[in-house]
Amino acid sequence: MRSPQFSSLVILIVLLAVFAIADANFLSPLNISNMMAFLPELGIIALGMTLLLTAGEFDLSVGAVFGLAPVVVMLLVQNGGFDIGVALLAGLLLCIAIGAINGLIVTKIGISSFLVTLSMLLVVRGAALYITQGFPLKSWNQPGFFVTLLAGSFNIGTFRFYTSLWWFIGLSLLAIYVLHYAKLGNWISAIGSNRNAAVARGVPADAVKIWLFILTSVLAGLAGMISAFRISAASPVAGTGYELEVIAMVVVGGTALTGGRGTILGTIVGALMLRSIRNGIVLIGVPGLAYNIFVGVIILAMLILHALLQKNAARS
Amino acid sequence: MEVLRLQNLQKSFGSVRALKSASFTLNEGEVVALLGDNGAGKSTLIKAISGVFPVDRGDIYVRGQKVSIRSTRDAMDLGIETIHQDTSLAPDLSIARNLFLGREPVNLKWLGVFAPLDLARLRDAASALLKRVGISKKLDADALVSTLSGGERQSIAISRAMQFAAKVIILDEPTNNLGVEETHGVLRFVKEVRDAGHSVLLITHNIHHVFQVADRIIVMRRGEIVAEQTVAGTDLLTVESIITGADMSALLKETRAK
Repeated sequence: MRSPQFSSLVILIVLLAVFAIADANFLSPLNISNMMAFLPELGIIALGMTLLLTAGEFDLSVGAVFGLAPVVVMLLVQNGGFDIGVALLAGLLLCIAIGAINGLIVTKIGISSFLVTLSMLLVVRGAALYITQGFPLKSWNQPGFFVTLLAGSFNIGTFRFYTSLWWFIGLSLLAIYVLHYAKLGNWISAIGSNRNAAVARGVPADAVKIWLFILTSVLAGLAGMISAFRISAASPVAGTGYELEVIAMVVVGGTALTGGRGTILGTIVGALMLRSIRNGIVLIGVPGLAYNIFVGVIILAMLILHALLQKNAARS
Repeated sequence: MEVLRLQNLQKSFGSVRALKSASFTLNEGEVVALLGDNGAGKSTLIKAISGVFPVDRGDIYVRGQKVSIRSTRDAMDLGIETIHQDTSLAPDLSIARNLFLGREPVNLKWLGVFAPLDLARLRDAASALLKRVGISKKLDADALVSTLSGGERQSIAISRAMQFAAKVIILDEPTNNLGVEETHGVLRFVKEVRDAGHSVLLITHNIHHVFQVADRIIVMRRGEIVAEQTVAGTDLLTVESIITGADMSALLKETRAK
C-alpha cells in the first residue's frame, strides 16, 4: 500500500488523533459541524482542480471566480430586480465564459495555464472590486428554494450539517466515477501523461482541456454561491488565496502537479487534512498569526513524503 | 497484394518543398524500409500518411481504393497505425489502458465520453495480447507503462497496432535509444508482425537493422524517392552511397574485388 492517497490517509488519521488528544473539543459535535460547513466550499473546487491537474493544466483564477460569481448574482437580484433563478443562470453563464476563455487561450494560442489563469485572476478579482466599488453587498436574508438547495442546514443528532455537504459527496462520487471508471477519465490521464500519445490515438485533447477549465470555473462559482448563501453576504474579496489552498489540497492528496496521475480520493483526504489542520492548530493554541507557518510546513512534509515514496517505487 | 499506394505526393511548408514527389507501393506482408538522411523528407512522408497534416497534391490508395486522410483518426480507421519513438504511450497509464487508448471498450455506449470502461474486457484483451507478445519477463496488464523498459514499450506499442488489425504499421525509429538485446527483441518482433500478415513501413537511420528485417528498401533524398531496391538485390555500401549521394563506386569496386 504505497499509493500516495493511502499515505495521505495515514497522515490524516495521525493528525486527527493528535488534535483530538491535544484538545477534547476537536471532536465535539460543534467543531465537527463547523469543519464540515467549510469543507465542501474548497473541496468542491478541489474536485475540478484535480481533474484539470491530471490533464496537465491548472487554474489560478478559481478564488477570484469564487468571489465574483455571488457578487454578480446578488447585484442582479438586489439592484437589477431580477429573479434569483435568472440571476443564478447569469452567474453560471459567466463562469462558463471565464472557463472557456481560459481553456481557449491555453489550448489554441498555447500559453501556459499558469500565465493565462494568473492574468484571469486579476481580471476577475478586479471586476468584482470594480462592480461593487470595493464594498461587500447588503446582507442577504431571503430564504428560498435556491438558498435551501445550496446552503440549507439540517441536524443529525447534535451535529448540524449544511446541504453543501451533500453536494460535495455527490460531486466527489461523480468525479471518482469519471476519473477512474469512465472513458473520459482515461483520456484525461492520458492527456496529462503524454499529450502527443493521446492525440495520436485520436483523443480530442484540446476539447477535453477546455471543458475541464469550464468545469473548474463553474465549480468555483458554485462554491462561491454556497458560501455567500451560508453567510448571507457576498464580498468582492471572498475567496482570496483560495487557489493556492485548493492546489495544496490536491497535491497533498497525491495528484501530480505535472499531470497524468490524479486521485479524487486523495483530494478528499487532502481537503479534510487542510481543513482539520486549519481548525486544529487554532484549537490547540497556536497563535493565529503563526498558523500559516504550520500549514506550510505540513504541506511541505506531505510533498516530501510523496516524492520519497515515488522514488522508492521507481527503484523497486 | 497491394495494400498502400502513394502517387506523386507533394507537400510544401512555405517555400520549402519538403516532399517534391513521392510514389511507392507497399504490399501485404512485407517490410519496407524507408531510408534517408536528416531532412530527406521521411518524416514529412509518414506524417502525411498518418494524417498529421494533409498533402498539397497527390493521391493515397488503400487496397486500391482512393482515400483522403485528414486526421490521425482517419488514418487509424483506414488501418494505418503509426508508432513514434517517444509519443506512442502514456507512461502513467497501465498497459491495458494504453492498449485501448482512444478505442476504449465501454458499456452503456450511449453515455458517450461518460460511458463506463469495460474493465474486464480491457484486462482480458490486454493479457491475451501480452501473452502473444511473448516478452520473456512476465508483464502484468495492470502495470504502469512507466515501469517498462524502452524495448518493452516498443513491443507494447507495436502489438497495439496489430491488435487493431492494422493493414499498415509505420514504425518511426523503433530502435532508437534501445540496448543491443532490446533492439534484437524489437526487430524479431517486426518479423513476427510481418509473418502475421501486416505490412510494415520502417523508418530508421540504422542500415544494419534494415538488412536484418526488411524485404525492400526505399531511399529518399531532398524530398524525392531516389532509389527502390529489394534487399536481396543490393548491399550495404550501395545503399549508403545512395543515401548520401556520394560517389562510392571506387570503394565499391574495391570491396567487391576482395
